[in-house]
Amino acid sequence: MLRKLIRDTKDSTQTNINFNSTQAKIFHLKERSFRMLKNDLILRNPLRLMGYKAEEILTPGGFGAVLARAGVGKTSFLVQLSLNSLLKNRNVLHISLNDPVNKVNLWYKEVLSRIAEQYNIQQTDRLIETILPHRFIMTFRVEGFSVPKLEERLSDLTEQNIFSPQMLIIDGLPFDESIYEPLTQIKTLAQKNSLYVWFTMRTHRDEAMGPDGIPTRLIKVADLFEVVIQLQPKGKEIHVKALKGEGADSDHPSLLLDPATMLIKDQPNK
Amino acid sequence: MENNTKKVRNIGISAHIDSGKTTLTERILFYTKKIHAIHDVKGKDGIGATMDSMELEKERGITIASAATFCKWQGHEINIIDTPGHVDFTIEVERSLRVLDGAILVLCSVGGVQSQSITVDQQMKRYKVPCLAFINKCDRIGANPLRVINQLKEKLGHNAVAMQIPVGLEADLTGIVDLVIMKAIYFDGDNGENVRIEDIPDNLINEALKKREELIDAASMFSDELMEAALEDQVTEDLLISAVRSGTLARELTPVFMGSAYKNKGIQPLLDAVTNLLPCPSDVENEALDKEDNEKSVILSNSPDDDLVAFAFKLEDGQYGQLTYIRVYQGTLAKGMTMVNVRNGKKFKVGRVARMHADQMEDIDKIDAGYIGALFGIECASGDTFASLGTGLTMTSMFVPEPVISLAIVPKDNKSQINMSKALGRFTREDPTFRTHVSDETKETIIEGMGELHLEVYVERMRREYTAEVSTGKPRVAYRETITRKAEFNYIHKKQTGGAGQFGRVAGYIEPVAEEEFVFENKITGGAIPTQFISSCEKGFKQSLAKGPKMGFPVTGVKIVIDDGASHAVDSSEMAFQAAARGAFKEGYAKAGPVIHEPIMKVVVETPTEFQGAVMGSLNQRRGMIVGSQDEGPMCSIESRIPLAEMFGYSTVLRSLTQGKAQFTMEFNTYKKVPQQIMEELVEKAREEKKNVA
Repeated sequence: MLRKLIRDTKDSTQTNINFNSTQAKIFHLKERSFRMLKNDLILRNPLRLMGYKAEEILTPGGFGAVLARAGVGKTSFLVQLSLNSLLKNRNVLHISLNDPVNKVNLWYKEVLSRIAEQYNIQQTDRLIETILPHRFIMTFRVEGFSVPKLEERLSDLTEQNIFSPQMLIIDGLPFDESIYEPLTQIKTLAQKNSLYVWFTMRTHRDEAMGPDGIPTRLIKVADLFEVVIQLQPKGKEIHVKALKGEGADSDHPSLLLDPATMLIKDQPNK
Repeated sequence: MENNTKKVRNIGISAHIDSGKTTLTERILFYTKKIHAIHDVKGKDGIGATMDSMELEKERGITIASAATFCKWQGHEINIIDTPGHVDFTIEVERSLRVLDGAILVLCSVGGVQSQSITVDQQMKRYKVPCLAFINKCDRIGANPLRVINQLKEKLGHNAVAMQIPVGLEADLTGIVDLVIMKAIYFDGDNGENVRIEDIPDNLINEALKKREELIDAASMFSDELMEAALEDQVTEDLLISAVRSGTLARELTPVFMGSAYKNKGIQPLLDAVTNLLPCPSDVENEALDKEDNEKSVILSNSPDDDLVAFAFKLEDGQYGQLTYIRVYQGTLAKGMTMVNVRNGKKFKVGRVARMHADQMEDIDKIDAGYIGALFGIECASGDTFASLGTGLTMTSMFVPEPVISLAIVPKDNKSQINMSKALGRFTREDPTFRTHVSDETKETIIEGMGELHLEVYVERMRREYTAEVSTGKPRVAYRETITRKAEFNYIHKKQTGGAGQFGRVAGYIEPVAEEEFVFENKITGGAIPTQFISSCEKGFKQSLAKGPKMGFPVTGVKIVIDDGASHAVDSSEMAFQAAARGAFKEGYAKAGPVIHEPIMKVVVETPTEFQGAVMGSLNQRRGMIVGSQDEGPMCSIESRIPLAEMFGYSTVLRSLTQGKAQFTMEFNTYKKVPQQIMEELVEKAREEKKNVA
């Protein structure tokens, strides 16, 4: 219904409406429909669909992780979380240790265009325009990445008022034996700046898992995370399951990702 | 002139500015005995490198125009086009690549793959030019050729494979190990002219064996024979080279060579590689369009006996008149023959035919298919095709971007005025991205181009080569106007005061349209406007687009639909409807939310990481939006989108911020709406200028 309204208003001639209230205001229909479109997309964010009520499921300084094997869709999932924040005009710093800036940029364009296709949105160019100023991509080589370096880069940005992130996405950090120290350093940094931080975490097929589904090699650092979400391919679908945090024990049915688009599947009961 | 195209190589040397390609060309010319002494770019002897023929290039240490030259190596004829490295001159690079069969991609062993290398690589991809890579400056501090090979793989997506490894690095660079013959090669003598081949030093044997294995692995993908030989451990030099050649020609393998042109190391093996691995003209398929057969594409035969098809890829004005650099694709271009310029159908007789060596030349009788040469005294524009009489074949036209910046120039005196127009005539013929016109309002001459430096260089050349003293105004950005919403118009043009009357009514609407400059649709039914006047209406609207009513900038992205109107049996005329359309446009445009758009450039700065913060700050100050930063060891690159209007003088700012260690490239990205505050400033400025003119 909402989308129909958006389409109808977009197609109609652009006119100014003057509301006869005590304080007359002019609304541009095009602007209004655009705002509604953004809100509609925010409502469709994967976490909300998973049953999280709060806007931010992490507390400031909190960590979340998306766990999956290679190629299952971790980056795509995080890009969707990032887009959700961007649509709310929150600044996201996307750090990638795998891909160059252009490729990360392409991820965003790709996910947005898939969303646009799925929800029949025609204003993608404008959407991209509005979210771009809120996004900053930073890429490092895995071997060249260190938390002090990140801190230095971050202060370059914040001190000159170039960009102050509210959310951090760290894609491609290798979760090996030496991860505890950098993670605690990032925790300090996140708490100091009240950042919400999301990581991708690659798992392996024959990896030993703990009782809660979290790989045993990560048990030492598991306490640092408030939310852990797993993407698991089952047959032709990818299940999204909360391993830790709100929703982990609930009976809320797990969400499904469409492997073709990596977007949350529209389910009939939703 | 010999005629064996199997032994001809038309190659270009493409690279990032300052990666040493002019020095490399100089060394190639020296070893092929085309020159007898070496003069360095910015050298102390003040002579400059031979290829930098223009005085200005010598002074700035950069190569602007691509000088074509030829040399001989091991019985092969090599035509070299030294291509410019700055992004502002990419039309030169594009043109060069159009006529080349292969290229050497020069990379700096310290700087590695930089943003300009990416641009050049994209151009090579566009024209499907096979290339080999040469990692230069291995004698410099911080040289790391293996890192550059990885960058070639990661950043440019090349299947790069080392053909050599260095013997020593930085100041200790003494030679190279050839992984095909498995020998160490040293370069003795004052200028490295004596090649000494010896056994591989013990400390490098293991690495050489490992790298050779990698080379064989990569090359065997292109030769079953090599694959079998590798399994039986019987790889021969010929087998390996022929497999690498197949991979290179298919653009699926990039063999990597290394050395230091400045220190005279590794050039002769590179020349061997050019003859062994890069294609000869008959290896490359070239297409032309048949003008007489609906522009159907025709594959050219590359045979000297067929009809002539030749392509003018560069013009230069020399002391003997206009010099036209030409590549013959098919047939033979001989002295005294008559040929036709396919673009305008003009016939002419071929006078002098020459082969160029930087700014010296050698007279020859003919240019055969596959060769590059030069003609004298032929009036043509670059990009023209010459063909035998009766042949309608034309080479495909090249992609020419629209200029984004303009500058007013005023000659100081009468003599300068005459020289300036001569210079402008030549520059516009030589470079399709450089344009000129006279402003209707100010009557000043306006030059347009692809960037500040692009225009600066032409103004300098006017002064030096034509002694045309000109003063320049401030660079102006190519703003555009467009509309944001649909609006209706209904305009009556009526003039009935004395003489023949004029009457026309045009009604319809105007709306924004994406990705099109102008769309006109006629929805008139019932003959409200007689059919013969519809084209006048379109013409009237088109006239209005040239100068937008808001600020006088060209209007783009507009769709006009006319659906009603009226005419008068006597007073309606083409003139009347053109005037009515202009009035209708003005009426509709004012209601359609007109806005100004400005060109936004993609600016990539490459800087040592210690200056990253300062560089980001400088970009941010320029209404820039930083897309991201990429950390690449000691260097990092910052990608941003910045309005062109804010980029004037940025090179000076960047230099002083980074002690001259950073560089940037800039290319047109898109047009975007100008923020309200800036628009107000523009309106104010336009008003003041109008006042001044009045």
